[in-house]
Amino acid sequence: MRVRQNGRGSNDAPHGCENDSLSGRLLAKLVPLNPRASGTEDGMTVLSARSSEWVRPVTQQGPASAIIEIDRVSQVFQTSARKDHVALSDISLRIEERAFVSILGPSGCGKSTLLYIVGGFVSPTSGAAKMKGQAIKGPGPDRGPVFQEFALFPWKTVLGNVMYGPRQQGIRAAEAEAQSRALIEMVGLKGYENFYPKELSGGMKQRVALARTLAYHPEVLLMDEPFGALDAHTRTRLQNDLLNIWERDRKTVLFVTHSVDEAVFLSDKVVMMSKSPGRIRQVIDIDLPRPRRRNELLLDTRYQKYVVDIERMFDESDDGGVPA
Amino acid sequence: MTSSAGMTKRAAPVLACIGLLVVWQVASLALKNDSFPTAIGAIRAIPDILGDKESLINILASLRRMTMGFGAAVLVSIPLGLLMGRSAAVAAFFNPLLMVIYPVPKAALMPIIMLWLGVGDITKTLVIFLGVSLPVIYHSFEGAKAVEEKMLWSGAAMGLSPMQRLVRIVLPAALPEILTGCRTGLVLALITMITSEMIARQSGAGNILFNALDMGQYDTVFAMIIIVGAMGICLDAIFERVRARLVRWSEPQFDMPLSFS
Amino acid sequence: MMSRQFPSNLVLGIAPIALIIALWQGLVSFGFAPAVLLPPPGFVFSRLLQQFVTLTFQQEIAATLIRLFAGFAIAVVLGVSIGIAAAASPAINAVVRPIVRVLAPLPKVALYPALLLLLGFGHGSKVTLVAADALFPILLSTYYGASTVEQKLIWSAMAAGTPRHEILLKVVLPAAMPSILTGCRIGLVISCIVVFLAEMITSTDGLGHALVTAARTFQAVDMFVPLITISLLGLILNGLLGAARSYLLRGFPEA
Repeated sequence: MRVRQNGRGSNDAPHGCENDSLSGRLLAKLVPLNPRASGTEDGMTVLSARSSEWVRPVTQQGPASAIIEIDRVSQVFQTSARKDHVALSDISLRIEERAFVSILGPSGCGKSTLLYIVGGFVSPTSGAAKMKGQAIKGPGPDRGPVFQEFALFPWKTVLGNVMYGPRQQGIRAAEAEAQSRALIEMVGLKGYENFYPKELSGGMKQRVALARTLAYHPEVLLMDEPFGALDAHTRTRLQNDLLNIWERDRKTVLFVTHSVDEAVFLSDKVVMMSKSPGRIRQVIDIDLPRPRRRNELLLDTRYQKYVVDIERMFDESDDGGVPA
Repeated sequence: MTSSAGMTKRAAPVLACIGLLVVWQVASLALKNDSFPTAIGAIRAIPDILGDKESLINILASLRRMTMGFGAAVLVSIPLGLLMGRSAAVAAFFNPLLMVIYPVPKAALMPIIMLWLGVGDITKTLVIFLGVSLPVIYHSFEGAKAVEEKMLWSGAAMGLSPMQRLVRIVLPAALPEILTGCRTGLVLALITMITSEMIARQSGAGNILFNALDMGQYDTVFAMIIIVGAMGICLDAIFERVRARLVRWSEPQFDMPLSFS
Repeated sequence: MMSRQFPSNLVLGIAPIALIIALWQGLVSFGFAPAVLLPPPGFVFSRLLQQFVTLTFQQEIAATLIRLFAGFAIAVVLGVSIGIAAAASPAINAVVRPIVRVLAPLPKVALYPALLLLLGFGHGSKVTLVAADALFPILLSTYYGASTVEQKLIWSAMAAGTPRHEILLKVVLPAAMPSILTGCRIGLVISCIVVFLAEMITSTDGLGHALVTAARTFQAVDMFVPLITISLLGLILNGLLGAARSYLLRGFPEA
């Protein structure tokens, strides 16, 4: 059985016997998963990318330092009684402060799992992820996720959703509301404060989800195929808006996607992954000027070359296939 | 490892039964109440009831009525529910009527139906029939409503008539939901059976229960409760087995019984 | 579209009820059924209105309602808390699951004689019976709702800094609310049914008792009155719960 990357599959699978998946399913959601380590495949370090990832952001002020370090992380899911699925095999990666890094790969290569490990939602079978030198033990407001499924609280309005984080941080209601209103305006949803998520389109929901995460000022944004559920037009608009917002304060972004264009357009650095087992194939610096404008970039031969090269690399691989 | 986990899983309800009986035993010993016999006392009284020819006939007669009422209800309710699920007009026609009937306790109709049809088997079977119908209709309705439209389109494109589509596509697609309704209906059939016999006090398991209560045979009362409870648990377990076989293709269901839902 | 559909659906829905009443009237008018056995509908409804204003009948309704609410409230509190606890803790789950598996299909009415012996013939035994019967649908749907809460809702809340013990209250409970309310609706109807039956089996007051009294004296009219009353009560309570539901779930799709 293949471990699904999206939906519930990825968190049910490690829980072992399917018959048992219901018991404590909620508990599994509350506690970072720590599946039984069974054979960490230590011998298979052929494609370990530990040496190739040291990358400097294109535009920066001062010396760059790693904000996230992933050190020899492996993740094994027990999918059935006898079979294990190696979702991630010996991954090492350093992500520098203020860098926009995309993780690109075919579905099933463990790229979302890697993001969840950084988020502290999933504990790796072996290895460790560190944030500013501290081992990541669980979720925290320094790392804010944005999911493909939006994951907005359906019982709260747009304003209520965005205010959730600041209120949780103990900020007074009036102040939290003022900040949240400003954020809602920034993501272009002024006037929708009192709407419920169900009344919004997919693109608007994702804008709310972004605002909700930005509201508690995480140092790192963890974006899990955030535009994957949107139509092509909305997707393009949100990519542009995300870049505009990002270029204002340059948070560190870890962005999971299976779209080559999207990765090249947005990122300073693209981490290419292959599947079965999930490994880093290559890390590519995207040396394109910022601020990036879509209409200029699409005509830029350097941009086109990146896209073509990356697609060719995926084509050549035996197991990877073309990313959708 | 897997087999031992399976064993534990299968043994858990048995352990729960034993645990409940132990709690009962301890509670009755602690309370020292004449009208609250110990679990062991009650269990000892079971062979007396099952050994008595008349009680056995009574209980079997109850079960026969239950089976007939349940069977008839399922045969009528499933087609009706499926039709309601696939036709907005049929649903609009029946829904308000069902909503009015829903909160009426079916066993409470006993006295009125008795007035018309006497105390015989027909009355009791009819009451069981009414009790079982509603959940089965409701679940068939919900199941049929949720059938993927595209699946029916595919069927139509293959040349199936509306009737064929109902039988060959809607029925199997809604089967998991229908069977959930049947399971609820089965528990309700048992409940209605006992209650109607408690109210009519003519024959059957419910009657034995209350006669014993009136005569102060408390061991018999509690023994009867165990027997009726065991009937409920066994029927549910058997049905669950059948259900699991029929809908093997469907998503794994909850292993806690979702009775009434 | 809904508004245009509504009146025609309403007409369609009232049709079978009207038909039944017409048939009922017809049976009596054309002499197929003697009025002693089947009183004409007009007579029944006027008797109903007449009864509604009498103090004794109002007291019967009050007795029934008190038992119904007490039992239902106990079932909601126990069902929701056990359901969420069983979903959140494997240890509690391991204990609760087999017990529920055994007790849920058990016909609770059969316990009534035991409850009578232990708790007496007053409110206690009836309230307990109502609670026991309404408990399981609420418990099971709470458990179902709590264990199928979208994982990423919980992650989002955790990332926003919600401590683990607050997740149950702040995320799981509201997210499971649609399922919990479905369970409550089923539990409420069951409460209506069970309280009535318990009163029929042994009681000195309440609607069920009113029915039994009428049956003993072969007063067919008075047998219909409590039945129609409990049906009306069921409809009204269901409507109130529906209103509460659409308020509580105003954010949820398809509420």
